Amino acid sequence: MTLFLHEVRLLLRQRLTLLSLALLGLLTVAALAAGMAEVARQRAAIAAIPAAQAEDIGAIAAWVDQKKDAGSAAYYSFHATWDPPAPLAFAALGMRDVAPYILRVRALGLEAQIYDGDTFNPELALPGRFDFAFVLVFLSPLFVIALFHDLVSGEREAGRQRTLEALPRGGAALWRRRTALRLGLLWATLALPFVVAAVVEGVGAPAILLVLVVIAAYLLFWVALAALVGRLRWSSVANAATLAAAWLVLVLIVPTLANVLINQTVPVDQGAEIALAQRDAVNRAWDIPREATMRRFYAAHPEWADSPPLGSQFHYKWYFAFHQNGDEAVASRVRAYRAGLERRDAAGRALGWLLPSVGVQALLTRLADTDLAAQLAYQDRIRAFHARLRAFYYDYLFHDRPFGKADFDRAPRFASPETLSRS
Amino acid sequence: MKVVRLIARDELRLMLRNRVAMIAFALLVLLTLVAVASSWSHQRGMAELRARHAQAAEDAFHAQPDRHPHRVVHYGHFIFRPLGPLAAFDPGVDVFTGNSMFLEGHRQNTANFGDVRQSSLLVRFGQLTPAFVLQVVAPLLLVFLGYGALARETERGTMRLLMLQGVTRRQIVAGKLLALATVAILAALPALLGFALIAGQPGALALPMLVIALGYCVYLALWVVLILLVSALVRRSRDALLSLVALWAIAVVLLPRVAPDVASAAVPLQNRLQTDVAIARDLRRMGDSHNPDDPHFAKFKHAVLARYGVTRVEDLPVNYKGLLGVEGERLTTALFDRYAGQSYAAQARQNAIVETAAVLSPAIAIRSLSMAAAGTDFAGHRRFLEQAEAYRYALVQRLNAMQAEKVRYSDDTAEDAGADRRKRVSAANWQAMPDFTFVAPSGTALAKAALPGLAVLLAWLAVVGLLLALATRRLGAFR
Repeated sequence: MTLFLHEVRLLLRQRLTLLSLALLGLLTVAALAAGMAEVARQRAAIAAIPAAQAEDIGAIAAWVDQKKDAGSAAYYSFHATWDPPAPLAFAALGMRDVAPYILRVRALGLEAQIYDGDTFNPELALPGRFDFAFVLVFLSPLFVIALFHDLVSGEREAGRQRTLEALPRGGAALWRRRTALRLGLLWATLALPFVVAAVVEGVGAPAILLVLVVIAAYLLFWVALAALVGRLRWSSVANAATLAAAWLVLVLIVPTLANVLINQTVPVDQGAEIALAQRDAVNRAWDIPREATMRRFYAAHPEWADSPPLGSQFHYKWYFAFHQNGDEAVASRVRAYRAGLERRDAAGRALGWLLPSVGVQALLTRLADTDLAAQLAYQDRIRAFHARLRAFYYDYLFHDRPFGKADFDRAPRFASPETLSRS
Repeated sequence: MKVVRLIARDELRLMLRNRVAMIAFALLVLLTLVAVASSWSHQRGMAELRARHAQAAEDAFHAQPDRHPHRVVHYGHFIFRPLGPLAAFDPGVDVFTGNSMFLEGHRQNTANFGDVRQSSLLVRFGQLTPAFVLQVVAPLLLVFLGYGALARETERGTMRLLMLQGVTRRQIVAGKLLALATVAILAALPALLGFALIAGQPGALALPMLVIALGYCVYLALWVVLILLVSALVRRSRDALLSLVALWAIAVVLLPRVAPDVASAAVPLQNRLQTDVAIARDLRRMGDSHNPDDPHFAKFKHAVLARYGVTRVEDLPVNYKGLLGVEGERLTTALFDRYAGQSYAAQARQNAIVETAAVLSPAIAIRSLSMAAAGTDFAGHRRFLEQAEAYRYALVQRLNAMQAEKVRYSDDTAEDAGADRRKRVSAANWQAMPDFTFVAPSGTALAKAALPGLAVLLAWLAVVGLLLALATRRLGAFR
């Protein structure tokens, strides 16, 4: 133990080490603070939904109540859905800056609504977010390089290596001690601020432990790489240059190259084609007999087939029926589109098994529920909610029941998954 | 001059003997060629795909049967953002912005289906483009090749020897500069070669390409000078390498990520839900078309009746419902424009904050220069959105006017079995509708937008050059 303390004293006497650790600590704290601020902004935006919705729906209810027309209520009412950030989202913001976490839908065709985005500044999204995942994946290896590139070669260049190896409990034990010490300090610099932030954000203990292990494993990979390069017995400068080049290749070049490859080998039917097809399917209804639309709708949804036949006047139930027919006409395209996205995502994740940088990013965004899977799960919740909206309004439309002010309060409310159950 | 060349040649010979450096250089050239080829084919593929989609959307629009004009207002139109040839060099925000837009009456939709939501998580690691290679990878290669240029001579005491032989400090530095600059030119060459491919495409503009080439030359020159500056100031080559890698990481990797976070915290953007609710609120205040006693629309009706000298809307020579549509669209669009303008202004303020950070990081300056000249920055996207909105408004108002002139009011309000047929106007009308054509900005406008970035880079070069001149004076003064 005294030997260990001695090493600590030696290490902390080096300006480069102290500077590196201080800088890494600063960056970690800043990234955690930035992530927490962003998540707080998103929570505030979600918390502001009910007031805005109450105002909007209230105004619609006021004039719909005059005629009590369920069709107008369904047509004009937008219902809010939202995807609250998971407790760990602050550490890895993932896609939450480019994919919407609030989306309003109405009971019309969903395929024309579900791909809508929210307002975001593309130039700010372009370089990626400054979050904990970025500090860990991109920056921490550089600090490993700074602390480890001259672990052995530095002593050799100072002419001390042989002396050190001849000492009792020197040699391999000494290098192990020094490696463990440096690794431990780097790990603590990243892990301690993270744990504090995670506890503040209410992350569950298993997730925290898992992230701590991931931090250690990722650092260990880079330490091992540094040790491997160190075995070549090159000079400290050559070691540093080689490791920095390896960092460039593993963190920046291979992922970007793989992205090009994946996008070329896994073609995805462009979402725009779904939108075009759905619009044509919906609008065709105006040019075919209305009974044909209703027949098709009732065939797929016999639960509404007891509705009275259409008169010569416009009836909203026909309007909503052809919107739903339009959605169902593109259902197979929607499935194919989604499968394509999932294949691309799976290919990216598969690369994570080979490339620690990608693997850590994939794992953190998965734990934080900020990856594509989380986006698709949110879309699934929107779809389920939309189905409930349809059933709710159809009950009035197909049975010609009046829709008054009080009925607005009976509309289904979006239930976001309990924040706690997801950690 | 002969001495300078001699020193440069000697330095280059040393680099040639450095196997790691040579492999790194070869890899960079290879990477650039892959980037040029893949970006080029990606840009061509995207441009073709969007052109094909746009054609399909136009065909679908023109092929509509006889319809009521208001049906067509809601049938709407899909338009696609064309991708300029320079996007093959620097696609900028193209991946992050939706590239298709659905235009319809009384609604302003978002641009959807951006590649960022259609790609794997790898897309957030960066995109392999010639611009990425020159902005990010090339400087690091120069660091690897040049960190020791002066520090090594100081460390080994060979600097003294050189000076004893009558070589001046300025000659030494000039020689090393020449050597590293040669490498920089060789490294940039393959990427700039991609320009030759782009230049052959229709619509490629000479002036922005010139500004881009100039910008990257200044950027790489800046790194060359910066590397020599650090190499001159530091006593040991290892310290030179570590400080340069740290500088690179801060300037190229860290600051471009931190600056946007600062900007988005400083200037919040209103989200779509709040904007939509606010627009609905403002609309209710201006006039409620659902309310027959609404003062705004009552006044509008009076004015219309007075203009035609009649007392009832049924007696108007035009269809009142069409006129109402024109008025309603005018009101909503004024609001859309106001709120979109506020959002654009906020985003421009955010971008201005990021560009201020270019004072700390030349990588931010070259990025904005490059995107601005390529027309792939936020301003380029905004240009598309604004033209799309102008087209949407013109299209919808044309259809509303058609309803006013070609559909009789009595038919429009009828609900008998044959009314549907009488409300429709001929399909020939849809074929006569003009298509959306994106008006690309002129080369001068693009080049002008890139000038602030160029100015920042030149200022950087001047400052670093001055510092190197100062450092040169006390070169080898250690020990």
